[in-house]
Amino acid sequence: MLAIAHLGHRYPKAPSAALVDVSLQAGRGKVLGLLGPNGAGKTTLISHLAGLLALQHGEIMIDGEPLSAVRAKTPTRIAVAPQEYAFYPMLSVTENLACFAGAGRLQGAKRQERIAACLAFAQLERFADTRAEQLSGGLKRRLNLAIALLPEPELMLFDEPTVGVDPQSRAFVLDAIKTLATQGAAVIYTSHYMEEIEAIADDVVILDQGRVLRAGSLDDLLAQDAMVMTLAADGIAPEALMQLLSRFGTAQALGDRMRLELNAAPAAVLAALDAAGALVRYAEFGRGNLEQLFMSLTHRSLRD
Amino acid sequence: MLAALIKKELLALARDPQGLAALFVMPVIFIVIMSLALKDYYSPPQRSLRYAVDAHDTGKLAQSLMRSWQQQHGAPDALPADWQQQLREGQLKYVLVLQPGLSDELALPSLPTTARIRLLAEPGLDANLFNSLQAELSGTAGELKARTALASTDAPPPPANASMQSLIQPERFGIHGPRPSAVQQNVPAWLVFGMFFVIASLSGLVVEERHSGALSRLRSLGVPRSVQLASKAIPYLGVNAVQAALMLAVGVWLMPRLGGDALSLAGIHWGALLTTLFAIGLAAVGMALALACAVRTHAQAAAIGPIANVLMAAVGGIMVPKFVMPMSMQRLAEWSPMNWGLEALLDVLLRGGNIASTLPHVLRLGGFAVLMFAIALLLFQRPSR
Repeated sequence: MLAIAHLGHRYPKAPSAALVDVSLQAGRGKVLGLLGPNGAGKTTLISHLAGLLALQHGEIMIDGEPLSAVRAKTPTRIAVAPQEYAFYPMLSVTENLACFAGAGRLQGAKRQERIAACLAFAQLERFADTRAEQLSGGLKRRLNLAIALLPEPELMLFDEPTVGVDPQSRAFVLDAIKTLATQGAAVIYTSHYMEEIEAIADDVVILDQGRVLRAGSLDDLLAQDAMVMTLAADGIAPEALMQLLSRFGTAQALGDRMRLELNAAPAAVLAALDAAGALVRYAEFGRGNLEQLFMSLTHRSLRD
Repeated sequence: MLAALIKKELLALARDPQGLAALFVMPVIFIVIMSLALKDYYSPPQRSLRYAVDAHDTGKLAQSLMRSWQQQHGAPDALPADWQQQLREGQLKYVLVLQPGLSDELALPSLPTTARIRLLAEPGLDANLFNSLQAELSGTAGELKARTALASTDAPPPPANASMQSLIQPERFGIHGPRPSAVQQNVPAWLVFGMFFVIASLSGLVVEERHSGALSRLRSLGVPRSVQLASKAIPYLGVNAVQAALMLAVGVWLMPRLGGDALSLAGIHWGALLTTLFAIGLAAVGMALALACAVRTHAQAAAIGPIANVLMAAVGGIMVPKFVMPMSMQRLAEWSPMNWGLEALLDVLLRGGNIASTLPHVLRLGGFAVLMFAIALLLFQRPSR
């Protein structure tokens, strides 16, 4: 549905470009996870899709039609649920929904129907008359989500929609977003929480310093680390452990754990450790995780 | 779309008690306080001031002079022993000391060269009031001297109602306008001030919208900027209309109940009044929108709006009437949009003005409003990042 090709953008007076030659695709019925450290260009990318920034380089197509033309005709085909609580705190939940429904050109019975449907989807019926400023963090996130769904968009962008919420609300929001994709929408989801992306994304794009570092299906990306073993062992000195592991591949210390890119069978590593009298406390093999991939790609350096 | 956004603005305003107080209660309080405080400025109380007479001349003409004075100023207090102390402390407003030789001087058919009456006023007496008492005393003594001189000629005695005052017919020139009073001056002044106070209310909400991301959300929903601005301008023009009705009602009905003068709307040109109020509303809302789009933080919104309002009011003749300002300040006042609105309202409410006579001010306000709306639209297009 969405195809971005060679997108570039530089803010006025900025020393470097916010986006450089970014290409990605998002399809209906799928969740695209967008990962990147602070300053990676995620917000700039979302601002383009939300129609808040003019195109400088490259193209953004929706079903083969330029984004600007689609937005001019039917801006509500694309919805953005921003990171902030983008609603009016002094208005009640229903009043907020009515306001944004009106802004999205919904009228009459259709408007009432959509407000009721979104209230139900976000399970906010009990709080319909509560002022938004009195809602908890989790309920505010759900209201943010409900407002985004009002015009029944085909492409939805969720910018870190679970920041500051309790685990139950986070699970609810993730389920809800996954449901939207299952129902046929194209979803772009950004988050700093890797486990969230792993939980709901079908495809992943990793951005850093305005460039795409890696893009592909989640399974393919994680399979790239299939021959990596992560382990922690007691009863053996770190230097001795490093020396032992080096016989089976390239070893690297990651805090209190070791990362080993294997050139042998994992069983041989475990047997050698056992023979050396080490007690294996933690071992993981067969599938990398997104956090490891992300950290190795972005080189662990602080960005703020 | 527009209706939903207007409803949002009205709900937000209705749930902002401080904003409502600033828009509706504050101007009412200013009108009441300033009208009562300045009541005597437009009708000086020289006829009711507490005074005493220290008569060292009890001749016939000196007594005659005092009888004339008492007809206008009421009976004097008995001269207390410590009258100088009371005068210094302001308990007595003034004392007339009739010095020996006054009656003889009044009887002479010549102009006096020596002071025979001392007018001693308390230190805090208003300078205009002091001058007025001096002029009145001089006039009364002069008329008595003239009557005495006339009586010694063969001329027929003057009619009972004859007086030097009959020579002058004082009036404030106006077509059909009501007489000036503190209320007649203060209602338009503080009404203009209150109408411009939409600046503070409106900019706070726009900053809130920008920070929360609600503005970006409206943009991504495809709401045109002009519609977003209109959705703010229309309800606040309504607020201005309610303010105008409320302030005029306060002047007409509340002020007399509080002991002040009543605002008179008799004989005014209603078309001119409504046109002027609409032009002031457009200018106020336009400026509010421009400032709201210019500020970026709550701190800026909370400071810049009220400061701009108070400065325009101070310069524009709201806090200090323009006619008491020196000429240089009066010229400066003419640059304040509040002054254009005030002058147009005073023209209607005091000088019997009509649409033609208010047009120069109304056009200035309209031009200012167009400029402000254009600036607002321009600033509103800036990306919020």
